[in-house]
Amino acid sequence: MADARISMYLPPDINPTQAAIAYGCRALPKLNEELQSEDLVTRQKALMALCGLMHDPEHVYMAIHIGCLENLKALLKDTNDMVRIKTTEVLYIMATHNVGRVGFLEHDVIRALSFLLNDPQSLCRENLHLAFKHLAQLPTGAQGIVSSGLIPSLVWKLQREEEGVQELLLDTLAACLMEDATEALASRAVPFLKEKLLSANSNIRSKAAGTLIAISIPLEGKNQVWKHDVIPILVHLLRDKVAEVQANVAGALMNATVTTEGKYAALNAEAIHPLLQLLCSSLSKARLNAIKALTMLAEAPEGRKLLQAHVPTFRALEKDTSAAVKQAAQIAIKVIEWKP
Amino acid sequence: VASALTDRASPAMATYTYTSRPRALPCQRRRYRDNLMQPAEEPVRYGNIMYDRRVIRGNTYALQAEPPPGQPDPAEIQRRQQAKRRALAKRRAQEQLRPRTPEPVEGRKHVDVQTELYLEEIADRIIEVDMECQTDAFLDRPPTPLFIPAKTGKDVATQILEGELFDFDLEVKPMLEVLVGKTIEQSLLEVMEEEELASLQASQYAFEELRNVELAEVQRLEEQERRHREEKERRKQQQWQVVHKHHETAEKIAARAFAQRYLADLLPSVFDSLRDGGYFYDPVERDIEIGFLPWLMNEVDKTMEYSIVGRTVLDMLIREVVEKRLSLYEPKEDRQSPPKPEDGLGGPGGVRDSLVDYAFQDHGASPAQRPLPDRDSPPRAPHDGRSVEGVSSQEGRPMEEEDEQTRKFLGREELFQ
Repeated sequence: MADARISMYLPPDINPTQAAIAYGCRALPKLNEELQSEDLVTRQKALMALCGLMHDPEHVYMAIHIGCLENLKALLKDTNDMVRIKTTEVLYIMATHNVGRVGFLEHDVIRALSFLLNDPQSLCRENLHLAFKHLAQLPTGAQGIVSSGLIPSLVWKLQREEEGVQELLLDTLAACLMEDATEALASRAVPFLKEKLLSANSNIRSKAAGTLIAISIPLEGKNQVWKHDVIPILVHLLRDKVAEVQANVAGALMNATVTTEGKYAALNAEAIHPLLQLLCSSLSKARLNAIKALTMLAEAPEGRKLLQAHVPTFRALEKDTSAAVKQAAQIAIKVIEWKP
Repeated sequence: VASALTDRASPAMATYTYTSRPRALPCQRRRYRDNLMQPAEEPVRYGNIMYDRRVIRGNTYALQAEPPPGQPDPAEIQRRQQAKRRALAKRRAQEQLRPRTPEPVEGRKHVDVQTELYLEEIADRIIEVDMECQTDAFLDRPPTPLFIPAKTGKDVATQILEGELFDFDLEVKPMLEVLVGKTIEQSLLEVMEEEELASLQASQYAFEELRNVELAEVQRLEEQERRHREEKERRKQQQWQVVHKHHETAEKIAARAFAQRYLADLLPSVFDSLRDGGYFYDPVERDIEIGFLPWLMNEVDKTMEYSIVGRTVLDMLIREVVEKRLSLYEPKEDRQSPPKPEDGLGGPGGVRDSLVDYAFQDHGASPAQRPLPDRDSPPRAPHDGRSVEGVSSQEGRPMEEEDEQTRKFLGREELFQ
């Protein structure tokens, strides 16, 4: 049988770009020390190793526990590009886990990251925005981003960044605006979003519409949306080819037509027909939003008149597969058939 | 009893061989058998070779020619003697035949002489020479030559054929499992992480959808509520205004009716009250009232004033005289001590009187200075009435005043002191 011969040589270094990861519980403390070293190569190798380790949430917890975040914050200000890119990547991976997000909020990483908003390296900024996006999925994270005053700069960045990063920015903004939209409204977000609605990229259109949904939740947002004449554009986009865009636009309309001015603006822009067509869409979100938007419009007497002819469509939708759609259809019928 | 094996091939060799298996010898206990019918049924008793007489013990070389204790064989003895004689004779003969050196000549002796090249000293003492040998102390020891032991044993060769040492497929299986397993595990982890993220995103998407819809619904309901409420408010307001107007109208009607009734007997009462108020007057009477009577009163007033003025002047004269007298009498009166309490009363009374005097005097002076404004406004009439009063009261008093003058300057004394 083959015998176990112990070789005299160390095992070959498969990946010289990565630092050697110590065994067991020594891995993270050792990497933490290496992060503080003076030598550039050591730091870079430690960062690469850390990238690999951070996919495991237990390691993320350990890392935060031993205070890796302080070193990472210091490394964000490093002069070397590679170090910054890798640090932002590590932070982004940590932000995909809830432990990481909570740690970010406790250690005030948002402020440290915000210094890199104008970084010359595009990868760095992309990772940064990915980190923000994941952080914003958590309500307290979104609150943290809002309270650190980053919203105006993010809105401003919307104009200047490239497309991929714009999508991330729109996602982040959508999540943050669900929490608190006042700052965004103050920094002219609605005109920017109006421009983005006309972009060529369908992803950007759908995400811009999603952000509009969020921004038109508070009353001020609805008023601004009406004032900037976004509603006709939204109605026009209801005929867009991409289902996701249609769904989000219907959602934005649903929120914007709560106010009376919004309702009449939408009715003037002939919103009812495209919305009726959207009722047969394949995406349940589109159907749901369309039903809700039509319900809003049915509150107005003119809308009610027009929609009374289409009550059978709603009855058919009552047998839809999704429970939410059924309920929405019932409510819509109730509203349409209401007599004062 | 062991069987004796004889060599069957012996007649050609003419040797005798006897072999037997080693056996223990039985000892003879009984010389005579008890009964013939018992060959060997009872256990055979073996004798111990150590205690057997037949075995020769001790040293055997001293016993070689031991004659037997019985009579020796005479033939044997003779043969031996003859052998001895023959041997002896042979020896003698051989001795004689051997060449010897001849006997020395007379007077000489044989001496041993050495004829070799080098003479040897022949002595009993053996010549000994001590020789010693020592290796050089500092000579390097050459390396031990490689000890290759002599090859011993047999040479054996072996050849390992395919599949004899180990089965590759079996052996490599665990290693491959580990390698491939680890790789797949890592990739599965990554894929699972992505899947997890994707499923989280999907559930979040669904949640967001529902949440947005619910939120919109809530807002719509709020809006609806608000509108209905406002509508209700407006209607209520309208209704209230209607009711209010209704009330007002009713009140107005009621007020109108009441006013009409109230004012029905207004005219007569108006006339009555006017008449009572004296608005319907007899012009002559009025004229007399307005014109004549005030003039008359003014004239009366004037006349009275004249008389008052006269009296005042008189009073002034009297006063001056009295004062002069007083200033003359004052130093004398200083000595008079007791202030009487009535004087105290009289003092302030005197002050008041003097004030009244002054007012009276002023009053008296002013009508004298003023031209007669008596016919003027009716407000003056009560004033004059009062002054008439004052005059009339003062008329009663001047008598008292003159009586009091003496008491007065006593009072003034106190004041001045």
